[in-house]
Order: sequence, then structure tokens, then C-alpha cells
Amino acid sequence: MPKITIDNQEVECRNGVPVLQAALEGGWDVPHYCFHPGLSVVASCRLCLMEMMMPNPKTQELQWSPKLVPSCQTPVRDGMVVRFDTDRVRQSQAACMEFFLLNHPLDCPICDQAGECHLQDYSFKFGKPESRMVDQKLVNPKKDIGPKTLLYQDRCVMCSRCVRFTDEISGTHELCIVNRGSRTEIDVFPGRALDNSLQGNVVDICPVGSLLDKDFLFKRRVWELKGTSSICPGCATGCSIRIDHADDKVYRLKPRFSPKVNQWWMCDEGRFGFKYVHDKKRIRPPLVRRGFETLTPNWEDIPEIVRFRLEEHVREKGAAKVAAVLSPFMACEEAWLLALFIRKVAPQAALAMGPVPMEGDDQLFPVGTKGDAVRFTILKEKCPNRRGVEMVLQAAGGTILPFEQFTERSGKGDFSAAWFVGGYPKPWVDKITAKNAANFELLIVQDLFESELIAGAAIVLPSCAWVEREGSFVNAAGLVQSFERAIDPPDGARHDGQYLYEIAGFTGLYTAERVRELMSTAMPAFTSAYAPPELPAHAH
Amino acid sequence: MKMTPAEIIEEVKKANLRGRGGAGFPAGVKWGFLPKDRTRTLLCVNADESEPPTFCNRVLMETDPHQLIEGTIIAAYATQSQIAYIYLRVEFHEQFHILQKAVDEAYAKGYLGKRIFGSDYWLECYLHRGAGAYVCGEETGLIESLEGKRGWPRIKPPFPAVEGLFRRPTVVNNVETLSCVPHIIERGADWFTSIGPPHSTGPKLFCISGPVKRPGCYEAPMTITVRDLIEREDMGGGMLPGKRVKAVLPGGVSMGILSADELDMKMDFEDPRKYALLGLGTAAAVVIDDGTDMRMVLRNMARFYGTESCGQCTQCREGTAWMQKIASRIAMGAGRIEDLDILLETARNMGMMPGLSICGLPDGATYPIETIVKKFRGELEAAIRAQAPQRAKAVLSVLN
Repeated sequence: MPKITIDNQEVECRNGVPVLQAALEGGWDVPHYCFHPGLSVVASCRLCLMEMMMPNPKTQELQWSPKLVPSCQTPVRDGMVVRFDTDRVRQSQAACMEFFLLNHPLDCPICDQAGECHLQDYSFKFGKPESRMVDQKLVNPKKDIGPKTLLYQDRCVMCSRCVRFTDEISGTHELCIVNRGSRTEIDVFPGRALDNSLQGNVVDICPVGSLLDKDFLFKRRVWELKGTSSICPGCATGCSIRIDHADDKVYRLKPRFSPKVNQWWMCDEGRFGFKYVHDKKRIRPPLVRRGFETLTPNWEDIPEIVRFRLEEHVREKGAAKVAAVLSPFMACEEAWLLALFIRKVAPQAALAMGPVPMEGDDQLFPVGTKGDAVRFTILKEKCPNRRGVEMVLQAAGGTILPFEQFTERSGKGDFSAAWFVGGYPKPWVDKITAKNAANFELLIVQDLFESELIAGAAIVLPSCAWVEREGSFVNAAGLVQSFERAIDPPDGARHDGQYLYEIAGFTGLYTAERVRELMSTAMPAFTSAYAPPELPAHAH
Repeated sequence: MKMTPAEIIEEVKKANLRGRGGAGFPAGVKWGFLPKDRTRTLLCVNADESEPPTFCNRVLMETDPHQLIEGTIIAAYATQSQIAYIYLRVEFHEQFHILQKAVDEAYAKGYLGKRIFGSDYWLECYLHRGAGAYVCGEETGLIESLEGKRGWPRIKPPFPAVEGLFRRPTVVNNVETLSCVPHIIERGADWFTSIGPPHSTGPKLFCISGPVKRPGCYEAPMTITVRDLIEREDMGGGMLPGKRVKAVLPGGVSMGILSADELDMKMDFEDPRKYALLGLGTAAAVVIDDGTDMRMVLRNMARFYGTESCGQCTQCREGTAWMQKIASRIAMGAGRIEDLDILLETARNMGMMPGLSICGLPDGATYPIETIVKKFRGELEAAIRAQAPQRAKAVLSVLN
């Protein structure tokens, strides 16, 4: 571990990182635009310049370099001495900020980036209060560069992060730089659009309000949003994300840095895949049917009713006639609680894994790469927690069936009672499942949306979307990752963890952490969930 | 072919051949930077002569293309390059055909291609035409452009000698530099150093343009002064009748300006520093006569760099454009005295030597502006004070 001295303070830093990154990790707020740890270094914004001790070429005596050096381009060396806190550096930063704002339209009141804009922050912290330019501003055009993204060139600082992203991470090369001098612009190649599965990231890495997400455009001021750490349920990769929400509404999803999983990125499928959360067609409240009677009981009575109906069935038909189909969209804790309950009431019951949605092939990025060159993967397995639910089923023991076998055996009439867990954002009940379900005497369905199963269900339990729940998912690499509750469920719904907790016989408030603690005695993997390291405060 | 590559490099180092492209870096030293264990080396010949009043490379290519090819072969042999690219600016249309013909002739005679002069050394030579950008004359900008990319200069290190064109060790030399090489090898380093002062050895081409009697390109040792270049009968031949020297841009526009009483500056690699200039540059002098308004000179300079900044580094991209706006406004008759101070401060903020940017373009952009404002401040201020107030107000109100 090399040690370097920044502003007379010794810092230990990781090998091979640039001085800028070491400084950011050490807590220095060094302004920077073009540098991004996930992209190549171009050293073109010239904001992160520093002074460095160098040997005099003639006398070999150490002295401060006559030239300011870009800290993003200088790798750390043991014993290096640099400084940012000098008049020369500050003067150069202030001059740079003045240059950045010369042709900037200063339209913060109508800019989506306002509040999380590094042009605002740096101007305030490092810049000058007034522009001295009396001439007309150069107005570079606003452009519609793709189906999901707008480019406001007049706000651009030409950091070229977006261009490097499409070159180095997505590998799709849609963006380029045209013209020169102050008329330099970001653009798409003629006849092409910025349209790839990772394009949303260019909006995230844009340090200013130049690249804008059409989906979020003019929806909400960012300072009204609250961020909650979560995991994307879109595929088995399990990207760390942040849910930006306000007033129980999700406005956007942003990737969170996670070195083991998604680095700094996420895919568009996950990013825009939360829309079903606010679908008006979601089922609620709970329903209980007996004969021709349909009731909407209080949530408080649900555990009693469920337990009573299932125990009654076991008494009449025997425990082996009961089956439960768990969903790969359940959190591990919820699956464990349900399996615990079923095993308690009907020890010989069959537990099955619900259908695992698969779409196409795994998508590797940059496009066309394999093996070590792959920087990002979108998996074809479009559910977050197949592995976690499988682990829980394994630990539960007894009869465990794959979904195909469950279908086959229920076709033969092996089961007379079944508990189906859905939670899929898309319709998932196939014809055979619907047909077989008609034969069940007791059908308990826990799901988000109406399906063929609901019509014949004796008990309907509304499910919640993952943003309304808390728990943990196990991703394709076997990493246990926890997610937090961001918003409250819609009226009439209750989050799955809580009612399963009560059904399983616990009292009080459900917390995922408490359940994980209980689970960990049998499954040590759940002792702790992986939490990615926090990014340094001033990094972006 | 009797000399080894190392001997050639040694001879060129001994001759102290300094690069004629503008920066004056010793060519032999540049060749010596190549890593010893390299497997393939590339040579680029910089014929992107785009400094405004400069045309010495053009003259060399028009009148003696074989001299350049000979120099290229020797330099390629010395650096053990087996491919040489000659990068021509796109405007060199005729010169391209002349040079192409000369290259074809050299191939036909066996001077280029496989087994040159019966040795086991071979060299391929390609001509490449640029797309019209000043910054592609910067060596890493040239390399990027040659690779088919946008001509944005690269960050250094790695220097081209270590990782240049197509990520291979690369040497980039100017046309005039390479044209000196055959003479050094033929007549020896001692002959070369006998011409000119010790720090600026060898003959040099000087261009002169403007209202002189004989504008053109002249060869001389680097002992002549700017006055010699203008006055001498075998050179500029004096001013046109009725014209007097007011200022001279002695080294291409990027080096800065000289006032009429600084004409005794020696045209070598060291003396220009004493006159607050950046260096010798391309040694192409533009004479400005006393009938010229310095505001127009200022605008012309600023416009050139405003157009030619590549747009990569912040200071240069925004600074050149701002200076252009200010200079145009002053030229339109709506200047303010404080504009001159802003010009000076902007020039400093853009990073004059030592620079703040990736390449040297902003250094070159700021020197003429700063030297014009400093050396002709009186005239500029007088012109601003003499502006018609109504007009100035009108222009300002339109711009505000």
C-alpha cells in the first residue's frame, strides 16, 4: 500500500489508483468532470490540477513542479508529495469554472439536474460569483438523441464521459463528438439513435444537466426525492440500486456502486422496470371465499383464517395432499416463513419452486466481448431470487419438487390444497396450471395481479412489489444482498413479510434482519448480507 | 548504408539538429527516447504545415521532394522503422501529387520497398492526407488523425516514442528537420555545427510575407536578425514604397509579436525568449505596416485560434472563443478599456508556459494576444477611447 502526502497529510492508498481517486477516498473534495473510475482517463476538463513535488532536472533537488499536473492522470507512487490547497490551484479552478459557465444558459430553475448538479456545486464552492462576459452566449442546440434520452448541448461541459461509456462499457459506439473549439458537440452518428440496453447510464454519469432521462423529465425536483438502498429484481444479476421516491411514489431508479456486482452501472430493463408498482390493476384487499360467500376480512384476522382453513384441510385429506409453490420473486425471509408455516401445519406437504422466467440469451457488454473483457451482464433469468428460494427449500427438507413435476402430479390429482405465490410483474399462469388449479379444493393465492388462479381461490392475499417490502435476494453469483422498504403498499395491501410472519406464528413487527438471524442458525449464509462499500463523499 | 543506426543517431545528436517544426526539440534526442527492446517502430513525417504565414515545408516538397524522401529513409533506418507515413495537410493538393510521384520514382529505383540498396532493410512509405485541422500538426493529434480518429491530442505520458501510432513506438519529425538529415550524414556533423550559433546549428528556411518587396522563402544560418530578413537585398529587400514597419510576427503567429523597435532580435532558438516571445516557431515572419489597425490584427489572431481549438481542454475551448468575442467586439468599435485586462487575464488563465492543457495550442493562442495587448496597449486604448459612443452603445446593446 503506497503512502502519499496530500496537503501535508499522509494518506495510505490503494495500488495503481490515480492521485485524484486517492484524494477523493481520503475525503478531499477535488473538483473533476471527465474522470470516472469506470472509464478511461482523458484528462481534458483540467479541473483536478494539482501541484506535485518533482526532482529538478538539473540539480535533482526536490521542488514544486513549475507546471500544474492533472491528478487524474498521475498514478500514486509511494512517497509522492502533492498539494491542492494552494493559491495557484485555487486560482486555476476558479478560472476553469468561469470558462465552464461562459456559454452556459444558467437555466437551473427549469433544469432537472438542479440540486444534484456538479456545475452548481463546483461554481458555488470553487467558482466566481459573476461572469465578466458581456458578449452574446454561444447557444449550442438541444437534441433528441434517442427514444429515452435528450441532450441539451448548451449545458454540456464536454467531459466526454458519455462518449467513452458507449465506447468502453456498452460497446455500441452511438455517441461521438463533432465540430471543434467552443462549437464542439456531443452527437449521435447520422441515422442512428442512442438506443442500447445500458444507455440510461449516460444520464447518471453526466455531471451536469446535459443528458436527460425522458422518463423522469420535469417530474419532480430532485431535492424532494428520498433515496433508499435496494436491489434490482429485474434479473438474477442483482444490481445494487437506489430507489428515488417521494410521497409513496417511485420516480426513478439509479445504480449504486457495487464492486462485486454491477460496478457503477445498471441496465434500462431494470431502470424502467418499476412501472408495474403503480399499476392501478394491482389486487387488494385480501379476499376469503366459502361457498358462494366472499368476504374481505381485516388483515388482523388473516393469520387465523389461513391457519384454520389449512389445518381443517390437513385433518380431512391428510398433509401429503398439500402443496406450496414458492416464487423466485419472494425474498429469502418470506420464503423461509412460508416454508416454516407449511412444514408446521403439514409436514409431508410438497414444496415447489414456481416457474423461473427466462427471456432470450444473456446479454454481455461491451457488445461482442467474452470472458474477462465483459464489463456488464444482463442475465436471461428474469427474476431476482431463484437461488435464495432454492436454498430455503433445501433447508426446509421433505418433498421438494421442480415446477414441472408439480404440474405433472397436480394433473394426476395428487394435491387437493395448494398455496401459490406469484409476485411476477408479467402474467405467469399458464393454461395447464390454471386447469389443474380448478381441481384444488383449497386454493390460496398470493399475487400482484389478477390471473386465472384468483377466480377460484379460497383465499386471495395481495402481494407487494419489492419496493414496498424488505428482505434479501441471492443473486446468480450466490451473493446474499439485502434491500430496504422504500414506500408504503397501496391501500388495502400489506407487505408480505409482515403477514407471513404472523401466519408463521410470530408476533410483533416483522424485520428482515430479525428473520435472517433466525434463519442463520440453519443457514449460515444468511448471517450477514453483502453491503457494497460507500463511495467517497465527493466522488461522482 | 555503411553506418549503423546507432552511429546515425549519434551523428545527428552531435550535429544538434533541433526540430524545425516549432518547438525546437533536438531530433537525435527524440530518436534516442525509443525503447531499446521495441519490436516495431513507425516513423511519421509531419507535413501538416498549418501555422498561418508558414510555407517552408511546401517549398521543400515542391522543389526537392527527393531530399525529403532521402531524409525519411535515413531517419527510418536510424530508428529501425519499416513503415513511414507522410502526413500532408489536405490543402497540399499539388504537393501531394509531386510527392506521390517522387515516392513512386523512389520505389521504382529500389530506394524504397524491399531490400533497399541490396541490404536486408526494407521500408514502406505511405502518403496520408489530413482533413484540415491546425491541431493535427501537433504530433499526438497527427497520430490520432492518422489512426482515423478525431484529431484530439493525446495525454502524455506515454510519449509517442514509447506508445504512439497504433500503440507502437513512433517518431514524428517535421519535413524541414528530415530534409537536413541527408546533409548531416553526407557532410558530417561538424559541417552542420559550423553554421549558425552553437545552440541553433545548421541552415534554416525563413519565410517572409507582408508588404515587403520580395516576399518568399529564404535559406540562411540562424544568425540573421528580423531586420536582416526584411531589409537584406537577397531576402525581403525592404518595405514597399511608402510603407513602414509597425510590427512583425516573426515565428508564425503563435510565437507573439515584435514592435518596430525590437527588430534586432536574432532568428534563432534562444533569442526570441528575451523579447517575451514563445520561441522561434516556424521562423515565418509577417510584417505589419503602419497603415494597419492593431485591433484588426488582434481580431484576426483571436479568430484563428477560436476556430482551430480542438475543443478538448476547457481552458482552450472556452478561452479562445471568449478572446475571439472580445477581439471582434473591440474591432467593431465597442471595446472597453477593461476588455484589455480581461484579455490578459484570460490569456494567463488559459495557461501560458508552462501550459495547463494537453497540448501546446493554448500557449500559441495566448502569446500573440498577450504580446499585442502589452506591446500595443497605448494604440488599442487610444482606439477604444476614440470610438463613437453611439455606435459602441448600439453594438453592446445588441450583444448584451
